[in-house]
Amino acid sequence: MIDVKNLSKSYGKTRAVHDLSFTVETGVITGFLGPNGSGKSTTMRMIMGLDRPNRGTATINGKPFHEIKWPLREVGALLEAKAIHPGRSARSHLTSLAQTNAIPKARVDEVLDLVGLTQVANRKAGKFSLGMNQRLGIASALLGDPAVLLFDEPINGLDPEGIRWVRELLQSLARDGRTIFVSSHLMSEMALTATDLVVIGRGELIADTTVNNFIDSNTVATVLVRSSDSSRLNQVLAGLGGSITTQDDGSLLVTKIDGTQIGNAALSSGIAIHELSPQQASLEEVFMELTADSVDFHGTTNAKVTS
Amino acid sequence: MTVTNTQMPSTDRGHVGLAGVTRSEWTKFRSVRSTWICLFIIVLAGIGLSVLLTFIQAARWSQSSLQERATFDPVAFSQSGHFISQLVVGILGAMIITSEYSTGLIRTTLATVPKRFTVLAAKKIVIAVVILVVGEVTAFASFFAAQIILTAHGGTQLPAGASIVTQVKSASIPVVTIMSPGVLQAVVLSGAYLALLSILALGLGFIIRSTAGAISIFVGILLVLPIILNFFPSGFKNSVEPYMPSNLGIAMVVTTTRTTDWAGVLFTPWVAVLVLALYAAVFLLAGLWFLQRRDA
Repeated sequence: MIDVKNLSKSYGKTRAVHDLSFTVETGVITGFLGPNGSGKSTTMRMIMGLDRPNRGTATINGKPFHEIKWPLREVGALLEAKAIHPGRSARSHLTSLAQTNAIPKARVDEVLDLVGLTQVANRKAGKFSLGMNQRLGIASALLGDPAVLLFDEPINGLDPEGIRWVRELLQSLARDGRTIFVSSHLMSEMALTATDLVVIGRGELIADTTVNNFIDSNTVATVLVRSSDSSRLNQVLAGLGGSITTQDDGSLLVTKIDGTQIGNAALSSGIAIHELSPQQASLEEVFMELTADSVDFHGTTNAKVTS
Repeated sequence: MTVTNTQMPSTDRGHVGLAGVTRSEWTKFRSVRSTWICLFIIVLAGIGLSVLLTFIQAARWSQSSLQERATFDPVAFSQSGHFISQLVVGILGAMIITSEYSTGLIRTTLATVPKRFTVLAAKKIVIAVVILVVGEVTAFASFFAAQIILTAHGGTQLPAGASIVTQVKSASIPVVTIMSPGVLQAVVLSGAYLALLSILALGLGFIIRSTAGAISIFVGILLVLPIILNFFPSGFKNSVEPYMPSNLGIAMVVTTTRTTDWAGVLFTPWVAVLVLALYAAVFLLAGLWFLQRRDA
């Protein structure tokens, strides 16, 4: 279990994390979501005792990082994939980590095998692709077989096959009853892997909930209707209390009343229904809507060149 | 997917300690090629330069000025490889920590070791022990090689307690043996000088964090500071000169009291060791202070 309480951190005048509190439960994958620069990595560094919070505490299984007796064997972390000396082999890198925490040498070969790096174990890490570095980072997180795992953007730089591998790995780790805390700026990825969700924007908590709850409570059920007579159906549904938007192709987007009511109303009014489909707002859209105000750096797609 | 088969030792007892972290630092140290290149240069350049300079000095003894004859010390001269090897020691000492900052490895390191002091102590042990061993090998090899060259050029041993006048008037270049008074101590301290410098450089690395910055300052302290000092009034210059790290190094390897050139400029060998050890400790403690207070 990871417990974050009133955590705050500023770098000079830049406020990275502000009064952040949440709990990461055991045995599930908790997604840590936020736009780039929202304070996810800073929060993870504070949990791992690397950065010192200005206020608040972060504990792992009830202890601050510095009081953990065998850190690698209690909490594994992938914080940045490139955090490896380019001149050192994957095996030497892992061996040096294992030695700090009295982890048997056999375990090094085991994790190399687990992440599929056995073939290149003696090659310099500087020659690795980003994906291989990411795998090596995951290997070092798993080295001590810890019950708590933190992954900061683990799928960055991975190919589709690698992404699927990470998803399955995370799920199998959670099935073992481990605590998994994984950050991403990709909502869709979290929808696939995570059960619980911590969402932050500009260093502040936006939501601490489950993925399903997050979607349910933040989306309005919408039904798309195509019919033989859009304008009349529009009036009929408005009479039932529906809120209707007419789209360019003549179809209607209806909220506040459900598909059954729409179908029945159309039948009694003699309007033929051509399509009646509930619209599932994607997690991505919900996320974008919620964090729209908290994105620090907006990009534009329509860059105008002015002279 | 099986995540673990290896039987892990129990986590109920003990904690991450200096022994394990030192083993880890040793693994890191020996698993990069730059380590071996640096060590190779320390030994090769150390011995090579000593041999070359001794050879030149021996070959032209008969044409040497009185000043050159008066200041010639067969032990200190045999250790002149320090000119190069001390710089490489600084590079190696600083790099074992600055390379961790430049790659981000430091964050992995600190995420495996809960007490930051342990990391600094382990690195200190590794670099100091390795440089002491390599430094002693270089010092003894340089010493014996130099005496062989001097003997080959007709060098002779001066009687113990011979005056500076005897040395200047001597037709042949002076030679010593390892058993001559003060010689063994000087050769041993020559290796120790490099080991102390490596600790100083490590401290600098922890403070500065950048390889280029740490090495620049190291070179500045060793080579540039004495040059700047020359521009100061002689009273000030004379009182500060013995404290220059490079002069402490000379003080540690000088054997003959005949060389008036150094009189007043140098501390006695053991005072020099103490002063340099104090410098190294100050830099290392400052490094520890920064390591514990700054975000990684």
